[in-house]
Amino acid sequence: MPRILVIEDDDVTAREIAAELASHGIETDRVADGREGLRRAADPCYDAITLDLMLPGLDGLSVVTQLRGQGIATPVLMISALSDVNERVRGLRAGGDDYLTKPFAPDEMVARVDVLLRRHRQQAQQTLLCVADLELDLVRHVVRRGDTQLSLLPTEFKLLEFLMRHAGQVLTRTMIFETVWGFHFDPGTNLIDVHIGRLRKKIDAAGCAPLIHTVRGSGYSLAQTD
Amino acid sequence: MRRLTDNWRSTTARLILIYGSFFALWGIVVIGLIHWQAASYLTRVSNELIGRQADYFSMLDEPTRRHALNDYVSLETRQLNAWGLFDAHGRPLAGTITALPPKVVVNGPVAIVPQGLKRNDGHAHVSVRAAAVRLEDGHILLVSRDTSIVDRIGTIILQALLWGMSLTVVPGLLGGWLLTRGPLRRVHAIREATLPIMRGDLAQRLPVSRRGDELDMLAGIVNAMLDEIERLLGEVKGVCDNIAHDLRTPLTRLRARIYRLQQQFDEDSSENATLEACLVDTDALLNRFRALLRISELENQQRRAGFDQVDLAEILREVHALYLPLAEDRGQQLELQLPSLPMIRADRHLLLEAFSNLVGNAIKFTPPGGRVVIRARAAEDGPWVDVCDSGPGIPVDQRVAVTRRFYRAESCRSTPGSGLGLSIVSAIARLHGYTLQIADSESGARLSLHCRDVASV
Repeated sequence: MPRILVIEDDDVTAREIAAELASHGIETDRVADGREGLRRAADPCYDAITLDLMLPGLDGLSVVTQLRGQGIATPVLMISALSDVNERVRGLRAGGDDYLTKPFAPDEMVARVDVLLRRHRQQAQQTLLCVADLELDLVRHVVRRGDTQLSLLPTEFKLLEFLMRHAGQVLTRTMIFETVWGFHFDPGTNLIDVHIGRLRKKIDAAGCAPLIHTVRGSGYSLAQTD
Repeated sequence: MRRLTDNWRSTTARLILIYGSFFALWGIVVIGLIHWQAASYLTRVSNELIGRQADYFSMLDEPTRRHALNDYVSLETRQLNAWGLFDAHGRPLAGTITALPPKVVVNGPVAIVPQGLKRNDGHAHVSVRAAAVRLEDGHILLVSRDTSIVDRIGTIILQALLWGMSLTVVPGLLGGWLLTRGPLRRVHAIREATLPIMRGDLAQRLPVSRRGDELDMLAGIVNAMLDEIERLLGEVKGVCDNIAHDLRTPLTRLRARIYRLQQQFDEDSSENATLEACLVDTDALLNRFRALLRISELENQQRRAGFDQVDLAEILREVHALYLPLAEDRGQQLELQLPSLPMIRADRHLLLEAFSNLVGNAIKFTPPGGRVVIRARAAEDGPWVDVCDSGPGIPVDQRVAVTRRFYRAESCRSTPGSGLGLSIVSAIARLHGYTLQIADSESGARLSLHCRDVASV
């Protein structure tokens, strides 16, 4: 069972994070102070850390900087009330792995933690991604479904790569938008749905078992259904 | 533009003109009065003198009179005095005056003969006063005295008036014009300072000099007013932002609860559908608050930390690629017209956000089958990007309003959206010093962002 260190000074938020992660079978320990957080984060028993940026004692940015300075590579999800892109960039540069703005939807937070956990586990750089009979060759830039080679536009290719790298996980629209396009604003319309729809039309052509699934209220997931 | 006539419109110039006219009028009155008094005094004196002399001469006996008359002429070196003796019929008998002027009545009062007297000694004085008396032998004695001195004094006084006036009025006007330049220069400085305020930058203040004069007092009053306006606006915005901020957390929790509840129901159940609708509404609310906070975040962002050299064409290509599938789904054409563009100094993420909003908006308000064009044009002071659509367009009277928070044109109340898209664009434009222009295109609205090179301004 994965274990996560929650460094968060706000009781309500901490309880929310713990409850939501627990419902997904993830164990949590909570620390309310930056200095104490830094000390505990060195413990290798944690698979990931959620880190509030505004903390008493030592601020989150310093925590993650010192953590990385000590050579500790535990994935860190930074949680901040500041939504500005520059804050995000600063956080990621300091060594954070992902950045989430408060207030957040719990499923969004869980999805992000999930991604961090799995990234931690499968460190090896894969060049060939496979889900069911779908194959994506990162080196030759080729996508196949069964025997058919699919022609994808560059964005569609990146989108599929992201979905396949996190096969079986729920990926929210925001996560997709942030990772595939690298944009950090609210695209407003059903933009992501349209892009997914296009990709779906190519991947899940008639006669094939659908691989891309809509997770109601949350986002999308690419997985093989039994 | 500053014109010469501006100087004459100032208060100082007006005061100088009013006082100048007043003093000129007063000078004319005073000098006129002096002239009138001097002239009447001199006239009276001359008249008395001539009258008395005529009487005196008439009383003398013949030889004494002739002596006296000769003395009368020779004693006055300037040849002012003259006389003439005429017989009863007016024929000249002696003296230098050779004709009796018709105006002079014998034994009458002293008369003015402005055209002068006929004389045989070559002296023809212009204006004389003359008196005639009948002597006991029936002859007529005419004595005259040149009184042009009175007129000459009048001329001298008039000349003094003119010189005095010109010496007062010309330097006065010149000095006045110079005096008005200083305050006007400050008025122009104040006008320069108000331009950013009128554009919405309430942090600007009017310049106040150390002199503490009327202009400074006025500028001080306006600055105090601006302080108050800024404070009130900040308060209103703060309240607005606080509400958005405070409501976001409970709304997020509400959404989480609805979401968890929904997970408990079967996917095809009616409860699930109802909860799904609740989620959609909650998301709409959350989006609106997010956009609102985003705007105030942009407005408060004074620093330009994220600024770098960015490739505008690349950004437009990305936005085009991002929205192309959406447009195609709606049966619209989304065109990109790119000339070669120079690099610009900007925040890449913010520009992406701005153009995404513009293009997203254009697609939203264009009916299916319509056409949206993203067109860039290079200009000397920075490139322009036009986003043209074939939608209903934006009426002229609503063009300013659409960039305000929450404003939505009457005609598009039914279209989903927060009404904050263009406010975000205009906040980003303001942060960059760019201008957002709203106009008509051939078939709908044209929204243009002028990416003016701020450094060149």
